[in-house]
Amino acid sequence: MKTEELLSMSLDIGERMLISGAEISRVEDSVQRILMTYDVKRADVFTITSSIIATVTDAQGQTLTQTRRIHKYTTNLDKLHSLNALSRKICADKPALQYILSEIQRIDSAERYPFWIECVAFALIAGSFTLFFGGNLLDAVAAALLGALLKAVVYCIDRTQVNMVFANVVSSFILCALTFLCVAFGFGQHADKIIIGNIMLLIPGIAMTNSIRDIISGDIMAGILRFCEAVVIAIGIAAGYILAALLFGGLIE
Amino acid sequence: MSTMEIITQIVTAFLGSLGFSVLFNLRRTKLLIAALGGMLSWGLFLLLGLWFTSEPLRYFFAAAFVTVYAEIFARIKKTPTTSYLVPGFIPMIPGGALYSTMKFALNTDWQLFGNAAIYTLQIALCITAGIVVVSSGMRMIVAAYRYLRNRFDTQKKF
Repeated sequence: MKTEELLSMSLDIGERMLISGAEISRVEDSVQRILMTYDVKRADVFTITSSIIATVTDAQGQTLTQTRRIHKYTTNLDKLHSLNALSRKICADKPALQYILSEIQRIDSAERYPFWIECVAFALIAGSFTLFFGGNLLDAVAAALLGALLKAVVYCIDRTQVNMVFANVVSSFILCALTFLCVAFGFGQHADKIIIGNIMLLIPGIAMTNSIRDIISGDIMAGILRFCEAVVIAIGIAAGYILAALLFGGLIE
Repeated sequence: MSTMEIITQIVTAFLGSLGFSVLFNLRRTKLLIAALGGMLSWGLFLLLGLWFTSEPLRYFFAAAFVTVYAEIFARIKKTPTTSYLVPGFIPMIPGGALYSTMKFALNTDWQLFGNAAIYTLQIALCITAGIVVVSSGMRMIVAAYRYLRNRFDTQKKF
């Protein structure tokens, strides 16, 4: 295997892991280990949430660097599991490049749950958390319907490739406005609970927790980036809510 | 808190975690393990209410518990710990606290807004502290185990 190919292949794996929701330390560790499995003298990997940089010095003393820029992540724990298994296998068996590339392709083509199941999951989450935070059954039904609708909204906004902050302002605005309308027409009693149930779908709680984890485990740069991102998203959601409440909140007073 | 509320919360914690596990594309038994983790962590959180009055402390212990749970099942199923950890602390995510923060901002009540924002952050920090303490502890135990095993093996060889 050529050093370029090795470097590119290991970054392919690292990039996919990062996108699927791996911690920074796992990505760095995996890429480093894969590189060191093959005949290289030295490998340095640096990862932050939006980029991976790897430099290797091969047996001939030639030094190479490649970087990857990551724009968007979608948590996909099944994919992460497969990638993790693949990188373990690489370190243990040192397989040929062709095999690894075909495995990566296979992992890429593994399917996600279909759209309607994701809608059902959104509805389930929104309905559950509305009950969880003290809403009644009618609230839960309303929240579930709005949750399914929220999935469609999020999907459409995703399609337009608008920036993350604006996307969150819009989703949160549409959600809150519809909630106020529903409650005004008697479908659901507690607008608060319905909104909380649906907001659980939007808030960056996981990003927030992961960012603090990154900071404590020493990846301070990556952690700060992710933390700022989470705060900005939370502000976006709040902005959407406040806008909707100012425009439609009067309906339920 | 009434028994009905407790049961509702535990059941919905399970369903909520299950929903998120689907969104994170977990499959088959992993789906159930992850959702069960969410349910157990919230159950423990409620149970701890009998001993501790401080909510952040309860979040800390519940998060520590879910990390132990995730580490154990990650080793059994040979998956990254994240697979069970992330769905496990879903019920603890401070959605309610964030909502009240937003509401105070809407009412321009900045005093209460500050308190609520800090409280939200405090919960996030406590959850993380619980996770970090256990996962670091686990790493130390694994390292110590490897060291002892290697030493033992080399002694046998000579």
